[in-house]
Amino acid sequence: MSHLEVRDVVKRYGQLTVLSGVSFAAEKGEFVVMVGPSGCGKSTLLRSIAGLEEIAEGSVSIAGRNITQAEPSDRGVAMVFQNYALYPHMTVAQNMGFALKVARRPKSEINAAVTRAAEILRITEHLAKYPKALSGGQKQRVAIGRAITRAPEVFLFDEPLSNLDAALRSQMRIELSRLHRELGATMLYVTHDQTEAMTMADRIIVMNGGNIEQIGSPLELYNRPATRFVAGFIGSPRMNFISAYVIETVGRSVSFSFGLELPPLKLEFAPGETLPAVGDAVILGIRPEALGDSGEVHLADAEVTVVEALGRETLVYSDAHALRTTDSESLDGYFAQLVPSQSDKKLGQHVSLWADRSAFVVFAADGTTLHDASPAHAHYK
Amino acid sequence: MTLRARSVAIGLHAFVSLWTLFVLVPVFVMVISAFKSQAELFTRPLALPRQFSFAAFERAWGIGISGFLVNSLLVTALSVLFIVIASSLAAYVLARSDKPVMRWVYVAIVAGFAVPLQSVMVPLYQLVSSAGLLNSRLAIALPYAAYGIPFTTMLFYTFFLEFPRELEEAARLDGCGRIEVFFRIVLPLSGPVIASAAIFQAVFNWNEFILALLMLTKTDVRTLPVGIYGLTGQYSADWPALMAGLAIATVPLIVIFLLAQRHFVRSLAGLGK
Repeated sequence: MSHLEVRDVVKRYGQLTVLSGVSFAAEKGEFVVMVGPSGCGKSTLLRSIAGLEEIAEGSVSIAGRNITQAEPSDRGVAMVFQNYALYPHMTVAQNMGFALKVARRPKSEINAAVTRAAEILRITEHLAKYPKALSGGQKQRVAIGRAITRAPEVFLFDEPLSNLDAALRSQMRIELSRLHRELGATMLYVTHDQTEAMTMADRIIVMNGGNIEQIGSPLELYNRPATRFVAGFIGSPRMNFISAYVIETVGRSVSFSFGLELPPLKLEFAPGETLPAVGDAVILGIRPEALGDSGEVHLADAEVTVVEALGRETLVYSDAHALRTTDSESLDGYFAQLVPSQSDKKLGQHVSLWADRSAFVVFAADGTTLHDASPAHAHYK
Repeated sequence: MTLRARSVAIGLHAFVSLWTLFVLVPVFVMVISAFKSQAELFTRPLALPRQFSFAAFERAWGIGISGFLVNSLLVTALSVLFIVIASSLAAYVLARSDKPVMRWVYVAIVAGFAVPLQSVMVPLYQLVSSAGLLNSRLAIALPYAAYGIPFTTMLFYTFFLEFPRELEEAARLDGCGRIEVFFRIVLPLSGPVIASAAIFQAVFNWNEFILALLMLTKTDVRTLPVGIYGLTGQYSADWPALMAGLAIATVPLIVIFLLAQRHFVRSLAGLGK
């Protein structure tokens, strides 16, 4: 049995269903990150596990105990909030020891727990201060310390780094990973920042519209996205998507046409993968880093429209005129290309877009991949 | 500053200055009258006294103002305490409940604000009388509390709507029940709104006259306004002593206001959200 089990959780606000039957499990000591766009239900799910939201259906159990109906404090969870939620009228030490004080633990035990947590987080010199005297990063450490003193079965993090500036955020990412190793604790972490998800998670849960799209390790999601949503959400800059339809299947080899005068694209499908039928509309995905000046397939000729020099790498957007990408967020129809070096490409320059066949991902019209991928409910179905 | 902005500013300042004069002139007249003789008060009502005499203060003190002062303090403190405890708890429940019926409860409480005291004076007198409370300090402290609760509940309600929920959620995760969350987290952080509610109600209850006159007929339980009223007779009144008594009665409130005016202004500025 897993350490944390969430089964078929449904949450409604009036007529609105925000979680429609969500299930997943986390093993003891695992760092699981829930990621998704605003309003996907990830925070609601976390708050439901914490007991701050009542769920309509389903169950939650921690360490083998069904806690669906339990009070928040009886669930064996501790939560770190986005805006720290430190009690302003208490010192750092009192904040961290509050839960133990409410539980009427002896003073010596409270002091020992607070001292230990403060040492782990290196905030010992701030123990006598009030929260208003601390910086954002220090406040978040105190909030984490408050969770540590409770020694919970599961740590819950609700976008804990989003109020910090970029430099501090990457430092805290590393620190949280270190903390996870040192404590060996089960952690469930909600973020909308896919970098946080990719860098810290043992496993990522990608959520969209109240459902789980896919659960898997960071690289599994990156390499084998189960849906077009996951493919678009994981990876920055976003994957390029192109509409196409099937014109021919011979054995496991399928030819796709982009229409117009462009040459068709022939891809091989592995044994066991679903083959599309002739005439099916599909979406082809290709990551910006997979597009280059050379490769097995010539996709299109294009004209450079935007060059973003990032120093170590260069982000090039180009307009292929006849061939347009679909649903690219910022630049309508332009191809994003990530060059892993400094590039001398100029605005208006004509380029050829090439790629290897294995770099393409094919999605059916409903958004699910035709390739093999780790499914959303691997644990139960 | 543009000409237009400047003329608006000048206009506003002129208005506020006039208003301040309007408020302060009666206070000024009260203070100078307290130092005059009865005759001078009527011959030269607005002039400064020819000589400052404390005779009126002595006469006023002589009718037992110290006792009235104690009664007023007790009644005000007791009613304000009732009001703050009841209103804060009620407002917290109203602000945190998502049951539709609670909106109607809130409307009903606010509607209580609109009932004029005069319209319920007779039944209120009967109520207090049959409870055997006439001529006790509770006879007015309890009605004062009842009258103060609607407005104070509104004041707390707007404050609690803005109160950060994460703090309460963190406390619930830390093991606090609903009541503990309120008393250990919410109330200690409600200083500004408690201060302004207390001042508001203290001013009102300190000055209240009609109810006190109705319920307190014995001298030893009278509050300041009713006690000072005793300086007027059927055919004549000792006006300088009356003014001296009122001046004495005003001092405690001014002191409290000066001490807490920062909180007072801040939470009033937040009202109406």
